Amino acid sequence: MKNSSIWSKPFYYVIVFAVATISLYPIFLMFLSSFKTSAEIFKNPLGLPTSFSLDTYRTLWSKIPFDQYFINSVIVSVTSVVLVVLFCSLAAFYIARFKFSWNNAIFFLFLLGMMIPIKLGIVPLFILMRDLGLINSLWSLIFMNIATGTPLTMLILTGFFKTMPMELEEAARMDGAGNLRVLWNVLLPLMRPALGTVIIVNFISAWNDFFFPLIFITEKAKMTIPVGMLSLFGEHSADWGSLFAGLTLASLPMMILFLVASKQFMEGLTAGALK
Amino acid sequence: MKKSNKFLFLFLFVMLFTLVLAACSDNSDDTSTNSNNSNSEDNGKKSEATEKVKLTIGSWRTEDVAKYEKVIALFNETNPDIEVEFNPTKNTEYNTVLNTALQAGEGPDIFHLRPYAAGLKLAGAGFVEPITDLKGLDQFSDDYLAASRGEDGKQYGVPLNISSTQFFYNKKIFADQGLEVPTTWDEFIEVNEKLLAADITPIAMGTKESWLLSLTHGIVGPGVVDGNAFADKLVTGEKDFTDPAFVESIEVMNDLKKYFPANSEGLGMEDIRTLFAMEQAAMFPLGSWEIPVVSELNSDLDFGFFPMPSKTGNQTVTTWVDGSFAINANSKNKEAAKTFLEFLTTKEFGELFVEEFKMISALPGITSNDELLSELSKTVETNSTPYYWVINFVSGDPTTKSVLETELQGMYLGEVTPAEVAQKVQENAEISFEPFK
Amino acid sequence: MMTMTVQTASTKKERKKGKRWTIHLFPIPALIIYALFVLYPILAALSYSFYSFNGFSRESFVGFNNFITLFTTEPYGSMFLNAFKNNVLYFILQMIVMNGLAFLLAFIIYKKVKGAEFFKIAFFLPRLLSVIVVGFLWKLILNPNFGTLNMLLGKLGLEELQRAWLGDPNTALVSIILVNCWFGLGFGVLIFLAGFQSIPVELVEAAKLDGAKGMTMLRKIYLPLMVPSILIMTVLTFIQSFEAFELVYAMQGSMGEPYFSTDTLAVFFYRLAFGSSTSGSSDAIGLGSALATVLFFFILVCTMVFLKFMNKKEVQM
Repeated sequence: MKNSSIWSKPFYYVIVFAVATISLYPIFLMFLSSFKTSAEIFKNPLGLPTSFSLDTYRTLWSKIPFDQYFINSVIVSVTSVVLVVLFCSLAAFYIARFKFSWNNAIFFLFLLGMMIPIKLGIVPLFILMRDLGLINSLWSLIFMNIATGTPLTMLILTGFFKTMPMELEEAARMDGAGNLRVLWNVLLPLMRPALGTVIIVNFISAWNDFFFPLIFITEKAKMTIPVGMLSLFGEHSADWGSLFAGLTLASLPMMILFLVASKQFMEGLTAGALK
Repeated sequence: MKKSNKFLFLFLFVMLFTLVLAACSDNSDDTSTNSNNSNSEDNGKKSEATEKVKLTIGSWRTEDVAKYEKVIALFNETNPDIEVEFNPTKNTEYNTVLNTALQAGEGPDIFHLRPYAAGLKLAGAGFVEPITDLKGLDQFSDDYLAASRGEDGKQYGVPLNISSTQFFYNKKIFADQGLEVPTTWDEFIEVNEKLLAADITPIAMGTKESWLLSLTHGIVGPGVVDGNAFADKLVTGEKDFTDPAFVESIEVMNDLKKYFPANSEGLGMEDIRTLFAMEQAAMFPLGSWEIPVVSELNSDLDFGFFPMPSKTGNQTVTTWVDGSFAINANSKNKEAAKTFLEFLTTKEFGELFVEEFKMISALPGITSNDELLSELSKTVETNSTPYYWVINFVSGDPTTKSVLETELQGMYLGEVTPAEVAQKVQENAEISFEPFK
Repeated sequence: MMTMTVQTASTKKERKKGKRWTIHLFPIPALIIYALFVLYPILAALSYSFYSFNGFSRESFVGFNNFITLFTTEPYGSMFLNAFKNNVLYFILQMIVMNGLAFLLAFIIYKKVKGAEFFKIAFFLPRLLSVIVVGFLWKLILNPNFGTLNMLLGKLGLEELQRAWLGDPNTALVSIILVNCWFGLGFGVLIFLAGFQSIPVELVEAAKLDGAKGMTMLRKIYLPLMVPSILIMTVLTFIQSFEAFELVYAMQGSMGEPYFSTDTLAVFFYRLAFGSSTSGSSDAIGLGSALATVLFFFILVCTMVFLKFMNKKEVQM
């Protein structure tokens, strides 16, 4: 690949530029529209706003306890991601690197959760949460995120654990490493691409989930950003400028977080590949 | 190395088990106050509030948060010991959230009950506290109380507001085009034709969201079937949906399509509201609740309403009770909740409601300063016809109302004929509507 | 593990290392949480499909009656068929458009274009948005009268292509699926890229030394080695296509409007189990559970077949 000149591949660039434009345009539109009035959006959707005033944002900020929601969202998302990746790494290691006769069955059991809408079980789930005393507790959301994130995480991690060459593990075991050390010091560092993927995916779904907070959380002090955003739709159904500002506010933390963290992730991706 | 591994292990399991144990023991300690035992952050606030009774209200009216704060403030003037929190859920998710909590024996102390069969189903399941003897209920008209009266004859809710649907019209466009408000069906069609000839979209209407279609039929239908006379016979089973007049009402709906905006099959609620508010269309067939929303969108818009002119000469607005407030049968604060519901029957509340919410109160004799609204309230008292799709046809699976909506949408897309629409509606009603069986 | 114990000389010591009983604790935390918060509620709810309901109260055990009703009584029978067809189209289009494009893009990035970092982020950004936001934005872009798409077509002189994308039954479903592709593309790129980057560099270099180029490289080296990630994406896309709900619900409501043209099995399930808030609810919990059960077994069987295939491929490699 080092032989092929970049400029001999204009085809590549046309494709990535076109797709990137389509990917980014709606987000750009959301941001731009948040500075417009309803009339402007309606009459001139493609144009630039007449003025860039932050008033809409200020009003929204004063109306919604955004900082509280933000803290809750961070607590829920970070805890969920750390735990789900930790638990699933252990479980996937067990399933992928050992050949116990029941491993396929366990793996399959984990996948079942993907095949059925969890909404179906919402009433038994609500009763369970109530009996555990977790209604209006952020733990209800954390447990749900871990549980619902498990199938996909298991699928990805098990798949990648299986592709790791056995020789590395054998070498470590020769040196006297136990299971945890093999997992932690030998395999996981090589799994960075896959780990990066599952961390991102779990973080996003934890951050954006609105169904479970809607059901399990009724106290305003425990609500997360998506629920706050959902109420915007009712309050500002006619005021599109405010609505877009709200959507931007709700999406921005996730984007900033991703942009900051992406360097780490992406470096992890390449580093993992070069090993 | 080995040791640190074991520690990590231990740590994991200890953490997991403490979590589970903590969760369980929490529960056995104080099952009565589930909502208080989770996190300790705001313990301070809670101990302060323990002397007060705290009521929560569930609703689908997320747009009314600020308005309910004023209602609660007024309530607290006379009831300072009862703390009330209005805690609405987005309209489309409200049923799911409320039903789930109710089935688990939880939920808000007071909640907004959907009108008629949709809400009474909750009463039928025993989730709603009967309030037949509540002070102040006797003021309401029997029709309004019927919206939240169970099959057992018990009253389950305090009716809050009356919704009415009718045509709104842009006064400026009408004046510019030299148009009068139509008082007969022929005049109505003439107005549409003239607007069309002047290159103005006559009716802001879209068929993408099917609930708008039953709503429009509720408005336009009485123009063809002689409103109350047909509705009265329909609900007793004397007439049904095979009646030629009903079929004609569907045909008329189809014919109106030429007065809709371009691409009406792709337009939804926000689009048609915006079209009307931005003066891109002359008329807007919708409900009274749209008045404040349209005004917010364009405060300069000068608009009025007219009742639907009919072929038989009478004119009607279509009305129903839009919501009632009810008490959770599992509430721990039923007495306080009753106090709040009683407050909802007072004149003070009624006046504040009309003033703030810009809606028609279900309480008798409440007048509004808002010209449009007070005129509409008067018309509701004199010229109303029942919106029978919501009042009588929301049972069955799918409901008769949703069959009408789906098939009307199919009709506008050219998939079915008006006669087939009527037939499918009839077939469904024969299964679920008692008088047709 | 097995091969290893055979190979090593000090077998006793190795067995002690590799097969300590503590290894069986590894899957326990994930299993407990998953069983408690996913398996238990779902199994509890699946049992509903064998009962008749009156409103919210479970009445009597009716065996397979709900299943029979679902397939033989109108309108359920034709709704099921219609929704199933839509799900199939969902899967096919996503496989071709989303996964095809994602594979290509991952390959391009793997080949080190300039600005690869930027492109990776750009492709992935949509995936960060909440589905509600995605639905709202695209409803606006696809709006027939002031949406960007129709305006753009107008400016390009392609007026005859303008239409009510989401209101026309001929284009509504395809529009929704393409929005879903837009949304999920970045995830596909990530998975495929991780796959490309896991290919041992030595293999690629060796093939190059042998003079392999372009399509030969793709066919002989990349495709076979990418089989695990391709299979993962296929399974995921399959499950996700047959569970398609959020986006349809956000953009077209619980009736799969217009005229059921965007209805999917999961939306149909939601409508049965939770009713439609705009049309009066009609909670048919028994039927809804029966539908979910059918959906579950269908996906289960298909996934089993996929996974069998997956294991076989791995053995060959």
